[in-house]
Amino acid sequence: MTNNRQSILSKLTNPKYIMVYATIGIFFVIYAFGAFMYGDKGFMTVRTFVNLFIDNAYFGISAVGMTMVLITGGIDLSVGAVASLTGMFIAYGTTVLGLHPMTCIFAALVMGVGLGLLMGWVIHYLNVPPFITTLTGMFFARGVCSLISRESIDIHHPMIDALAGWKIYLMKYSAGHWVRIRPIAFINFNVILFVVMIIAGTFILQRTRFGRNIYAIGGNEQSASLMGLPVGRTKVLVYGFNGLCSVLAGISYALYVKSGWNLSLQGGELEVITCAVIGGTLLTGGVGYMIGTLFGVLLKSVIPALITFNGNLLSWWGKIATGGLLLLFICIQRFVVTSSARKK
Amino acid sequence: MARKNFDVSSLMQSKVTWAVIAELLILLVCFIIRPDFFSISYQPSTGMLYGSLIDIVNRSAEITIISMGMTLVIALGGTDLSVGALVAVAGAIALKFLRWDVLTYNTPGDYTVCPYIFVLTVPLIVCALMGLFNGFLVAKGGIQPIIATLILMVCGRGVAQILTDGKQFTTGYSPFRIIGQGSFLYLPMPIIITILVVLGVAIFTRKTAFGAFVESVGVNPSASRLSGIKADTVILIVFMITGLLSGIAGLIYSSRIMSNDSNNAGLNFEMDAILAVVIGGTNMSGGKFSLAGTVIGSLIIRTIVTFVYYFGIVAEATMAFKALIIAVVIVLQSQPVREYFAKRAARRGGESR
Repeated sequence: MTNNRQSILSKLTNPKYIMVYATIGIFFVIYAFGAFMYGDKGFMTVRTFVNLFIDNAYFGISAVGMTMVLITGGIDLSVGAVASLTGMFIAYGTTVLGLHPMTCIFAALVMGVGLGLLMGWVIHYLNVPPFITTLTGMFFARGVCSLISRESIDIHHPMIDALAGWKIYLMKYSAGHWVRIRPIAFINFNVILFVVMIIAGTFILQRTRFGRNIYAIGGNEQSASLMGLPVGRTKVLVYGFNGLCSVLAGISYALYVKSGWNLSLQGGELEVITCAVIGGTLLTGGVGYMIGTLFGVLLKSVIPALITFNGNLLSWWGKIATGGLLLLFICIQRFVVTSSARKK
Repeated sequence: MARKNFDVSSLMQSKVTWAVIAELLILLVCFIIRPDFFSISYQPSTGMLYGSLIDIVNRSAEITIISMGMTLVIALGGTDLSVGALVAVAGAIALKFLRWDVLTYNTPGDYTVCPYIFVLTVPLIVCALMGLFNGFLVAKGGIQPIIATLILMVCGRGVAQILTDGKQFTTGYSPFRIIGQGSFLYLPMPIIITILVVLGVAIFTRKTAFGAFVESVGVNPSASRLSGIKADTVILIVFMITGLLSGIAGLIYSSRIMSNDSNNAGLNFEMDAILAVVIGGTNMSGGKFSLAGTVIGSLIIRTIVTFVYYFGIVAEATMAFKALIIAVVIVLQSQPVREYFAKRAARRGGESR
């Protein structure tokens, strides 16, 4: 029994989790700072916390796929454009062509997953660097967006309205019956999708053969291939899965803003990569956890929240703070990597 | 005879050859569809030559200048994502110096508030220092270049916005207009600047040992350190050059629009510059680099854009065409395809012998 507990303890103190702990720790430090500074303005409420999820669900959903791509040692720059294209599909399809949203979503899924699989194939079998391949994919998706329409299109469809308006109010038990907590906080479809994707991503990475192959390829692609692992298939599927995540992120974003615009989510791919890096994923591949990515998203989204609560700062400070955070995390990563290398 | 066979085969293997062929093909298509595509006329009122070809070279100036630095960075085995943000920073600083008094004088006239020399030098110095910061993180911190430069990419535009208080200044100062819209020897000024930059970088890398140092560090940093090359210094210099060149591109860009636009100045320039370098035949994993190839790569990108404008397709949709043509170029350049063609060329050479 004691032995078992020790093994759990030693598992938890494994140095490979240090980055995840650092992310979680810094998130709580910044959150506590916000609570201390703006607690009287309502920073501490459940509503503010839940809003971190609601306002950034689309980044989070995309970050799940991005984390996997980064673990294989690749990169995907097309996610923002593919998500934007999904929004355009839904908006143009329902509003202009009068199609059912499910048809549009299905078309977007085919497009996103197909593009992802194609890019994975080019990366592995034609040996083109991921950066260039997915950059071309980004240009392509962005260009098609503009071919569809250069104007922002509103989405009006009963099903989309119902899905976007659907919410679960958070309740508390007081004086014998359940009442909505004040200020009112709710969870919507996007938040549930985000959490489900994080759980699914964790399961795939930690509990399936596919997930172990991903880590093996990121650790050393050549050894993985010599060990007889299906390197090509895994890489192609990872990019396909990331395409799926981009489409889901696009749906989530379309529900969030209820419109499609050809220039929406511009630069979104770098925000997503930033979330993953802050969450402890190494761009060299082989290291990364979904839980880290989750807190990476929260950490990145708590900064704009702080700036909003402050009310006097230009929103540009948010970018600078994100850059500072990146620098901090890279230094921590660097320190962890060198100190663990020294131990060996 | 054997020598000649070898040449054909290696020519087919070379990525630069394919880039030149691609550029010529695109130009040929332009010529077939619009026979006046190659016409160049002289406009006495401005003292400049006009024509699509001149326009392509002129408009590609910023990307060509930046991609000279980017070639060296990629030869080192890295990428610099911050160049687009540095373009915005350079523009913001230049316009800040030109129009510091924006509250008192609201009309953008033919004057500058600070001495003109500051307008030109301070942005370049700041950009070079920012490049040095990137280089410091890579060389001394041992951080992957793509992440090290991601920092400035994320916060560079924020810095530009805060420098100008989120405002967009415009100016009418004529010496500043010359940089982007003036002419010299019948050619637009950006072309002259580009030629000077390309020659400068070429002489610096090819007439000194620096180019060889860069390639050596790109192939194997520790081996080159052991053979006495100061890898850290090489990395610092390369990133500083890239920062400086981004600054020059930033001045050209803001002089073209006579304004600063921290949101859109240099947007996606890092992507275009990296593409130009890769199309030009420099391998992203580092090592040998080709400055001439990069110039052609940059021209290809701009030719595609001009091509699409010419045929009245909406500006934003250029990206889709750019993607399609680049995809073809990349597939043609990819290792399996090149090996296939080289093998065929070698076989045909063998038969004729």
